[in-house]
Amino acid sequence: MKRDFQSPSNHQSFLSAFLLALPMMVLTFAMLAGPRRFSGPSQTAALIITLLFFNLLFFLMVYKGRTDRYRAVLFVTYAVAFVISFISHLIEARGSMALTEANLLRAEAPFCHIVIPMTLIPAALTKTIIFPGSILGAFASISGMFVLWIGASLSLGRGFCGWACFFGGLEDGFSRLLRRPVIKRIGAVWTYLPFAVLLVVVLTAAVALSPTYCLWLCPFKAVTEYVQVTSVKTFIQMVIFLSLFAGLVVVLPILTKRRTQCGLFCPFGAFQSFTNKVNGFDIRIDKEKCVKCGICVQKCPTFSMDDESMASGRSRITCMKCGKCVDACPKGAISYHIKGAGLAAKGDGQRLLFLYPAFLFLATMGGGSVSDAILRIIKLVTTGHIV
Amino acid sequence: MEAFLLGLSSGVVCLAYCAPVLVPCLMAGSGSTARTVGVVLRFLAGRLLGYLLFGLAAWGISESLLRSGYRESIIGLAYMVLAVALVLYGFLKERRPCTGSCAEVFGAPTISDRPRLSFLVPALAGLATGLNLCPPFLLAMAAAAQKGSLPYSLLFFFLFFLGTSLFLVPAPLFGLLKPFPAIRTVGRLAAGLMGVYYFISGLIMVAGGIKSL
Repeated sequence: MKRDFQSPSNHQSFLSAFLLALPMMVLTFAMLAGPRRFSGPSQTAALIITLLFFNLLFFLMVYKGRTDRYRAVLFVTYAVAFVISFISHLIEARGSMALTEANLLRAEAPFCHIVIPMTLIPAALTKTIIFPGSILGAFASISGMFVLWIGASLSLGRGFCGWACFFGGLEDGFSRLLRRPVIKRIGAVWTYLPFAVLLVVVLTAAVALSPTYCLWLCPFKAVTEYVQVTSVKTFIQMVIFLSLFAGLVVVLPILTKRRTQCGLFCPFGAFQSFTNKVNGFDIRIDKEKCVKCGICVQKCPTFSMDDESMASGRSRITCMKCGKCVDACPKGAISYHIKGAGLAAKGDGQRLLFLYPAFLFLATMGGGSVSDAILRIIKLVTTGHIV
Repeated sequence: MEAFLLGLSSGVVCLAYCAPVLVPCLMAGSGSTARTVGVVLRFLAGRLLGYLLFGLAAWGISESLLRSGYRESIIGLAYMVLAVALVLYGFLKERRPCTGSCAEVFGAPTISDRPRLSFLVPALAGLATGLNLCPPFLLAMAAAAQKGSLPYSLLFFFLFFLGTSLFLVPAPLFGLLKPFPAIRTVGRLAAGLMGVYYFISGLIMVAGGIKSL
């Protein structure tokens, strides 16, 4: 479709963009730098490259007045770096990606945010966490992930999925490979599926007192860790993991140009949608500017814009605040919004106020992985070994 | 009395086993509270049938049958039957909380055009959960099998069923969620997902059973 109008821009001057990006430079340095990061020339180089990369992209977000195109570069890099770093750590620590019975008994499984909804009812009823992980360990501990999740929920709501999730970037990347979608229409009823998955995994986890999503349905086991194949059951589990990964994270995102795992399956995403209600930011559509062209509906990666959104001026509860619709709207009718503030506020202030916490979360969650992945790549180039 | 008390004492566990199947069934589908009660009654009837079948099994040949490699296969096949019913119920029946485009996608004839199958789904779900060999059920099985008489065994399982069912009586309250179309859709999809889960569980049991033959 030919665009016959131009999107209004929030373009900043170079100097003001630099000044606005300066606090982020200080904050990212404070969050990512530590004695371990300066333990050798490779570590220092990896840290400097990471900081430059992150801050350049934040500067561009501010300078160009665009969000998603720069967020996506970081988000995809973060996901790829996470996989490289995580698998390397697993192989270093255990010699394999597979979890053995001994690993489970020693509570050595790294905790992931997707487990959180499944742990709440059993924790309330039995005062135990139904996950074989470490409560206070240094790497991917249960308490650490809970603290991050609470912080992200309060500051970003479901923005967690667009800015902090270490898996989302994989399908985000695949969803950008084709210029146009091959599958253009997906029935709206399927957008309710994540809530159904949430209901099922929460109920079954409460009954079985085990994280059923992790055991049966997590597509990302294909790129992280999985229970060692020792029986028909574990073999079927492995087939499910690989099929879901191939289908929801690779093939469907390519064909639909959407984040299908997040928008059509992920129970954590559904759970996190409710935190949009307690979070201070949302995405609003100025109904006076909106010409109902439907570009936002086509572009939204999680199916959070529909005809009803355009009529009501609000995105659906599942919005992850990635900014894709904001960037794409040819009339500049869609914007980041602080609840309680007016839509008519001039300038880029509300978007910037969202960007600071969102980007800081992304940098904090992703910086370590990116830095470690760079280090691994340097090691691979110089020694021929990644671990 | 022993059977009733045993059922009562393990009712919470039974509720836990049944809830993942029953709750989505209750949340799905439109209708009045009376129809919701109907769903629960059909579910309970299916469950009772499952219990009585086990009462029959406990009376006679069950010990040898259940100790053999057939046990896994029989239960596995029961799961797979439930699974197919639930998947059809969850993913094929009419569900239109949305307007516009999705109506075209789901405009084809669906299972709702076949009310008999839809009517039977809660009963089939109840039957399959009734055939579930949960720990309290095994206890009841052992207790009933001790006596060796058919009427006693059936009565034992009937009273056991009454005890466990008391916990399912408040279940129609979940029907209060029905007025919200989105929740109804979620419930139906969840029922379909439970079907997938049971199908895979059944497949694993059958595969295990075949392997051990």
